[in-house]
Amino acid sequence: MSFLDNLAQGAAIFTNPEALIALVLGVAIGTVAGAIPGLSATMAVALTLPFTFSMEPMTGILLLLGVYKGGIFGGSIPAILIKTPGTPASSATVLDGYPMAEKGEAGRALGMALYASCTADFFSNLALILFAGWLASFALSFGPPEFFTLILFSLTIIAGVSGESLLKGIVSAILGLLLATVGLDLVYGTNRFNFGDPNLMGGLNFIAVLIGLFAIPEILAMVANPHGIDGKVRGLGSDRVHWSDYKRCFVSILRGSAIGAFLGSIPGIGAAPSAFLSYSEARRTSPNRENFGKGEIEGVAASEAGNNGVAGATLIPLLALGIPGDVITAIIIGAFMIHGLQPGPMMFILNVDIIYGLFVGLILSSFALFFIGGAAIKLFRYVADIPRGILFPLVLVLCAYGCYAVNNNIFDVGVMFAIGWLGYLMMCFGVPAAPFLIAFILGPLLEDNFRQAMLMSGGSPDILFRSPITWTFWSLTAITVAAIVLTGIRSARGGATASGTNAGS
Amino acid sequence: MARQKHVQVGAAAVLFAAFLYFVGIPYGITAPTNIQNIVLSPLFWPTILAALLAVAGLALLAASRSLPVEAGEAAEDEEAWQPGAGMRLAAMAVLMAAFTLSATTIGFVWGAMIAFAATALLVKTRHPVAALVAAVLVPLVLYAFFAHVAGVAIPQGELVRLP
Repeated sequence: MSFLDNLAQGAAIFTNPEALIALVLGVAIGTVAGAIPGLSATMAVALTLPFTFSMEPMTGILLLLGVYKGGIFGGSIPAILIKTPGTPASSATVLDGYPMAEKGEAGRALGMALYASCTADFFSNLALILFAGWLASFALSFGPPEFFTLILFSLTIIAGVSGESLLKGIVSAILGLLLATVGLDLVYGTNRFNFGDPNLMGGLNFIAVLIGLFAIPEILAMVANPHGIDGKVRGLGSDRVHWSDYKRCFVSILRGSAIGAFLGSIPGIGAAPSAFLSYSEARRTSPNRENFGKGEIEGVAASEAGNNGVAGATLIPLLALGIPGDVITAIIIGAFMIHGLQPGPMMFILNVDIIYGLFVGLILSSFALFFIGGAAIKLFRYVADIPRGILFPLVLVLCAYGCYAVNNNIFDVGVMFAIGWLGYLMMCFGVPAAPFLIAFILGPLLEDNFRQAMLMSGGSPDILFRSPITWTFWSLTAITVAAIVLTGIRSARGGATASGTNAGS
Repeated sequence: MARQKHVQVGAAAVLFAAFLYFVGIPYGITAPTNIQNIVLSPLFWPTILAALLAVAGLALLAASRSLPVEAGEAAEDEEAWQPGAGMRLAAMAVLMAAFTLSATTIGFVWGAMIAFAATALLVKTRHPVAALVAAVLVPLVLYAFFAHVAGVAIPQGELVRLP
């Protein structure tokens, strides 16, 4: 059968109202779950899984995929409104989304987040349908050395999110990398900075670090200076994203979608690094790069395109090779197996109706996300109207519940508070938090792949230059670092000239 | 002030790197003794990071020499640090510690109610009645959601148990 015949067979989903309802319901559940800090998309998918046992395979899997897609978008809502990413994937959205909300443009930021998310999701689904086989085979050629060089290149994002001082950004990133080393050593299983405490053996909980770093410092700043912002109610501003805004951000959205689709097809990368890479690339190429981090709508668009671009593409290794791309697809693969399906090349032969039914369902999910996301924005955006004197205690309690709920562990709440104080100190001394978080996310991937590569080569660094892929990423890293150094020298010279002129006058 | 912050961050980075190198890594990391290649040791990565931190700290100290002292930033700092801020922050630290340590004895929900009300007090809310109502309702609603919808076992404590 040809591709079009298969697609027509998949379109039979339109005659299956149960599957359609499950898809829409899944997107709605995911959006609400994503909007609650701590109740991540992963947790929502895991909680929904048992409800799919009694469903038809297609219905159950579409319900889970809907939750996944809704969850990734839903995370952007609290990220923009209360500086608390609902999911790790929304971390990059905070950088410009929250400053926009501070300026009274919460509605516009949320609107752009929705449009960028839907566009990227649609693009990602198309990538899945058109390039599943090709991308999966390319991703298979990535071994530890290729991953190491890719992640090293990704770390150059730090330059883009360091704000006024690159050196402080580097210090912040190194602290993040150091914090990521806490836990049992993955090769030898020995203790690293866990001092025998079983709570620390698995490393620090990512959600606790994430919430602690972004939400708690804001509360502490409010405690230190209550009258600075108390009583101010942020206007929502226009909730409409103008066509001109969308047009201006379209290149960044497309680029973010492509980055998301590519990184999503590589198992183990995830949506958060993709969002940061997309954000960094948008900042690097945008004529408004000076506004990034201060409430630039293109930053919101790029971040959301980056994380939603992953959503469809993570199914590429899952469906084509039977390899889960991240934690959520690992749960979804469980749903396939419960229904007697084995994802992989054979599924394209034995269950082609389900494969193409899922493809068509995924395309529909982008449209469902558009309408349900729009309704969710209308519902949640009123959070911006709550007086700060009530909002901040509410955020504190919400963070505590959300952080506890991830692992049912009160220790994580303590970690969140401790990281919150660290974040507050960093804020007081002008050390940016974003590089810390990026490094904390990428750190374990960087170290694990480096050590795996070294194990493969018996300690020889030659393996890090073994293929055209590694050479490509080394070259990109070198070019980026050179560009950063040159920009730094130019701005230093510019500053010195300005100081000289001022002194002269 | 920009210069002063650069110096403070740079000095802290160098001191922390030295602490890691001489105390944190030797006493905090266990490495097998039979590792032939240093690159594969659990000590390798943290040691490299400690060295990088020291270099970044020294670079910050060096860069601070070319920075001007800006009076405007000093004023901004004074604005952010209001009278009594230290006491309020200390109270917040005690509140956070008490909430974390007592969640399993007095119960997460009751602790959250106290934490909500105390935080509202510390941020000097202009809506005390609404804050008090929210302090009672929000933890209860969150409990209902997490315990009965999401299936999370919220610690009940030893005093008053919720259904």
